[in-house]
Amino acid sequence: MNKILIVEDEEALCLLYQEELTDEGYEVTTVRDAEGALDLLRRGHFDLIVTDIRMPGRDGVELITQIVGLRKDIPIVINTAYQSYKDDFMTWAADAYVVKSSSLTELKVRIKDLMTR
Amino acid sequence: MTSPSELRKDPISGRWVIIATERSKRPDEFRADRQPIIRKSSAVLFCPFCRGNEVKTPPEIYAVRGAGAPPDEAGWRVRVVPNKFPALTRGDTPVRNCRGLFESLDGIGVHEVIIESPDHDKELPDLPPDHVRDILSACQSRFRSIEAEPQYGYIQLFKNKGQEAGASLSHPHSQIVATPIIPKRVKEEIYASERHHRRTGDCLFCRTLSEETEAAERVVRANEYFTAVAPFASRFPFETRIFPRRHSPYFSAAGPEEIAGLGEILQSVLTKLKSILDDPPFNIILHQGPHPTRARKVWPEIDRISHWYIEIIPVLTRIAGFEWGTGFYINPVAPEDAARFLRG
Repeated sequence: MNKILIVEDEEALCLLYQEELTDEGYEVTTVRDAEGALDLLRRGHFDLIVTDIRMPGRDGVELITQIVGLRKDIPIVINTAYQSYKDDFMTWAADAYVVKSSSLTELKVRIKDLMTR
Repeated sequence: MTSPSELRKDPISGRWVIIATERSKRPDEFRADRQPIIRKSSAVLFCPFCRGNEVKTPPEIYAVRGAGAPPDEAGWRVRVVPNKFPALTRGDTPVRNCRGLFESLDGIGVHEVIIESPDHDKELPDLPPDHVRDILSACQSRFRSIEAEPQYGYIQLFKNKGQEAGASLSHPHSQIVATPIIPKRVKEEIYASERHHRRTGDCLFCRTLSEETEAAERVVRANEYFTAVAPFASRFPFETRIFPRRHSPYFSAAGPEEIAGLGEILQSVLTKLKSILDDPPFNIILHQGPHPTRARKVWPEIDRISHWYIEIIPVLTRIAGFEWGTGFYINPVAPEDAARFLRG
């Protein structure tokens, strides 16, 4: 089973993503900040990471540059409420950029694409 | 100048500028403690534009690389890639929507990034002349390619260097954006040059260049193909325009010698700005006529009235309420002084 790490500071969204992506057949772990995510990545294996950008402490853009510094091959999806981070070329460390919406269709499609790449 | 300040009208944009010489500053007064670019944390370990990280960019659409070096791998000097997360995406002729006063258009366009060097810290002044020529040739090649797609209205080349100039990454790069419409500022330049041409039969830009050359006091540098001037009505301190001496509406029409000449003068102006202003943030913008297919339909005289040029704007002052509200700019450095510092 493919393992996904979700980095998201809002608890309700963590629960939603966990439920929806588990239904899609993934093993999902959620974490609420960048430090926690880096800690989990150092200790365990994940096949894909989904991260928010605006979070307390280190933001998601900084997190993904650090993840790529550790493991360049791990697919990363940015999942943010803001379009404006597309102007930041550091987001190119990610493989997909999804703007949050009430439907998780695009997020699921991007995850599936990257998992089958 | 006898008065401490002066209102000046830019003949090309028709924009008025206040040259406030009583507030004139020396270049070293613009030196300020600037934050290191770009993200504050020293823990950022990755740059998508650096050699070895080609896998994190979309596949290249143009590259200057050693013979036999495969695409999208190391071994390149200049790479052009599409923007990974573009605001405008490629498409056919956009659909225009009107609801009462509210008009909108499909967001089609082109957004490409020119990665100027595999080295993270090598800026244009630090590169060998043939490398700068390769960068300009890459830009020109992309312009020629986009000019073959008639659904676009304007092609813009720009470079943001430094956080204050809008750069999000310090690795040297430029960007090309093609928009489905002809931007208002571009039209304003065309209207001004059209009016001038109707009245005099001259190209406004050729005439400006000729008068600047004659006056000489604002000429920064010149070579066989280009002249760099501090414009008469500069909006910003050390603003510089580089005009091709040969009349031509489009950058894509520049010959190989002109590209080499442009590289030489651009590098020389940027080197001087870097030294006298302590490596300032700046924007470089290429101005030219609208997309040729559309321009020749709307302005049959476009080849006579439009003239491409490059604008360099060091970001040393802030645009604030007065400038936003009135469109007036207050420039604390007379362009004659700026030219003298840049020549020296």
